[in-house]
Amino acid sequence: MQRLPDSGYIDKAATRDTSVTVRGLKGAWSRAFLVRDFGIGIVAVLIGLVFSLTSPVFLSAYNLLNLLRQTSELGMVAMAMTILIIAGEFDLSVGAIYAVAGVVTGLVAKHLGIEMWAAAGCGLISALILGLLNGLLVTTTKINSFIATLSTMMVYRGIAMVLSQGQPISSFLVEPEFFDIMGRGKGFGTIPVPIFWMAGWGVLLFFLLHRTAFGVKVYATGDNAEAATLAGIKITRVKRIGFVLTSLAAGLAGLVSLGYLKTITPTQGTGLELEAIAAAVIGGTSMAGGVGSIVGTFIGTFIMAEVRTGLVLLGTDAYIQDAFVGLVIALAVIINIKLTERGRTKS
Amino acid sequence: MSSDLLRVESVSKRFGPVQALSEVSFSVGNGEIVGVAGENGAGKSTLIKILAGIYHADHGAAYLDGKPYAPRDSNVAVRAGLAVFHQEIPVCPHLSITANIFLGSKMPTKYFMPDWRTMEARCVELYRVLLDEDVNPRAVVREVSAAERQLALLVRVLSRDAKLIILDEPTTALTPPEVARLFRVIRNLREKGISFIFVSHMLEELIDLSDRIVVLRDGKHIGTLVREEFALDVLSRMIAGRTLTPPARMMANSSKQQVVLSVNNLGVKGHFSDVSFSLRAGEILGVAGLTGSGRSVLLRSLFGLHPVESGEVTLNNRRVRIRSPYDAIKQGVGYVPEDRKTMGLFPHQDIKTNVCMARTAQRADLSSKNNSGMRRDAALMKEELSIKFRDEDDPIGALSGGNQQKVLLSRWLLLEPTIILMNEPTRGVDVGAKKEIYDLLFTLTARGFSFIITSPAIEELLITSDRVLVMNRGRVRSIFNRAEATKEAVIHAATT
Repeated sequence: MQRLPDSGYIDKAATRDTSVTVRGLKGAWSRAFLVRDFGIGIVAVLIGLVFSLTSPVFLSAYNLLNLLRQTSELGMVAMAMTILIIAGEFDLSVGAIYAVAGVVTGLVAKHLGIEMWAAAGCGLISALILGLLNGLLVTTTKINSFIATLSTMMVYRGIAMVLSQGQPISSFLVEPEFFDIMGRGKGFGTIPVPIFWMAGWGVLLFFLLHRTAFGVKVYATGDNAEAATLAGIKITRVKRIGFVLTSLAAGLAGLVSLGYLKTITPTQGTGLELEAIAAAVIGGTSMAGGVGSIVGTFIGTFIMAEVRTGLVLLGTDAYIQDAFVGLVIALAVIINIKLTERGRTKS
Repeated sequence: MSSDLLRVESVSKRFGPVQALSEVSFSVGNGEIVGVAGENGAGKSTLIKILAGIYHADHGAAYLDGKPYAPRDSNVAVRAGLAVFHQEIPVCPHLSITANIFLGSKMPTKYFMPDWRTMEARCVELYRVLLDEDVNPRAVVREVSAAERQLALLVRVLSRDAKLIILDEPTTALTPPEVARLFRVIRNLREKGISFIFVSHMLEELIDLSDRIVVLRDGKHIGTLVREEFALDVLSRMIAGRTLTPPARMMANSSKQQVVLSVNNLGVKGHFSDVSFSLRAGEILGVAGLTGSGRSVLLRSLFGLHPVESGEVTLNNRRVRIRSPYDAIKQGVGYVPEDRKTMGLFPHQDIKTNVCMARTAQRADLSSKNNSGMRRDAALMKEELSIKFRDEDDPIGALSGGNQQKVLLSRWLLLEPTIILMNEPTRGVDVGAKKEIYDLLFTLTARGFSFIITSPAIEELLITSDRVLVMNRGRVRSIFNRAEATKEAVIHAATT
């Protein structure tokens, strides 16, 4: 049946109104706030400036690289978690998965005598399986993901503890290239490798979320799940993939940690889940789903690291640092919301 | 005139380009029930919201008990003695009727604790004095019927000295006996000097209950009927403003077109069974029926939203099994749901993403998002369906209801489906946009798209459809062709 003339609806050339009204510099400034992540970027720069005034070392390349290295594991997890949160779910078990991946890798390498890389593969696969379990649990039972992953968090942590008998695993057979590539080495002479892992993973997720059809489905699922279903999106599938991606990030981060420290403790990564959620929220991700970005979350992670490092350089009491980080989370979110609102009302 | 409880004088209200109310004047006497009638978008809810202090009039004045009345917010309105009943009644569902009645006001206390015994006694007394009804004061609101909930709310506002009560579609959730009971209570209260403004779509109910009926159309006060003048046809003509004539639509040789969909003995457990019909290319089939007759579920099941128990569906001469919306879309079926906000739109995504969502859903996960392609398609749809928006990157919330509806339609057109199912195609769009959407449907059928439309508004089906299928208690009662389909025939088939 020839329904539409020409070659159909889609290919017909369309004229797009490209006339741009000339607005002043002020217009450009307020329009800039509409650009995603602009507001939170400003916050990050401001915090950096404040700390550099009080401590000149703060803005040095050494300090910044160190800061990025320290935050790279959190960054990887937080960026993946962002995708999951945008899709309307979240995962409290990432810290435990991070531990399980490390413990499995360590045990396989030590007791089965397999080479380190294959052991790391086992660790990653175990993370992946745990993530898939999370996804299946949440999508089939429809339990709220807060409750579901709160329980798997405890189960997975238990697995890490039982497997390792609560003991740290270290003193591996010498296989230096694994540890160099995963955590201890430096690229271009100065840049610690964890930063490359974070950057690579970040770019991958950026393309996935912002440049592919899958990304659109993620936003749609979190924005309006019913409408997404009616538009033909398989939201269960989207959510499961989100859980697997998040667990994969946790596993990868666990391996980076193993590479850097050459040791694994089964209690490692406690609290990682909340820091990851905090970073995503600082970066403008909405807990209601449908809103957020990879770059925003990266900046969110960066801000948290800035504050911690800045406070260390200031020589503040270690006990008060967490309190400050908490304050900064609240402030950054408030400022971000206000700036975005202003940009929106002015345009 | 000074004996009127409420007097509204030439009140106007404008929202952007839309004149929602212009120069509306009317009055409500003590112990009078004034009905307000009008189509969706006629200005009924704007009027209510101004009286309740939620909106503020641009011009005009109102007087309550002879004193100027311009409530700043809803609290002021309540204190002045005015109460509004919405379609959705705000109650605390897990608390008892007594608690719901006394909550927020000064509770009687005993040793600094709420004195439930006193409150329960007073609750029973209030019911008896005000409504002449009995009540279990300890019943939890969640567990009582919608009618009981409404009565509780009535008692609540009356116990706070409400003088004027606005009933906004109070009967939508009620069964006929419950409606009768509510009306009896309202008449009782009228004898006690309480006044009511009664807003409803149900003309029979307006005529039954009101002392006078104010008719609004396009924001204007068209006229007021007094009891002697009440008649269904007069009222419906005043509301519609014109007798809606079916637009001239060429239905030549439609019977020669090929059948694109045939449904045989389709059944969905608990909703309908033995439904059979066929649909030709370029045809619009209307599905009429009361709520619960299965008409809505029929459409949803064709889109894979309800598991089909029995029967077969043949689409484009191929037997198909549709288990999910994804399947349905693959087979060439599109679905425009009845509620744009909760089931159609993605509020935080821009216009182009909303337009292209169904196609994106069909694409492989790792294929490119293709922003420029989406922009081009959105611009094309803008032109084809004359959707009014400035830029494809603007947020979807910037569009009016009618334009949002067109966006949802365009979402399917991009996929060129065989059939588009529409559940209440013009819900919540204004009169002008309604006509535009009808015209659009006709243009699209001329291109070979077929539609199945369902709506509680029978006129809408009569205007648009080539044939009208009437559902009655889960069965197909009859299928009328255009010549046979009159409002009376359809109502008769749907209700008997």
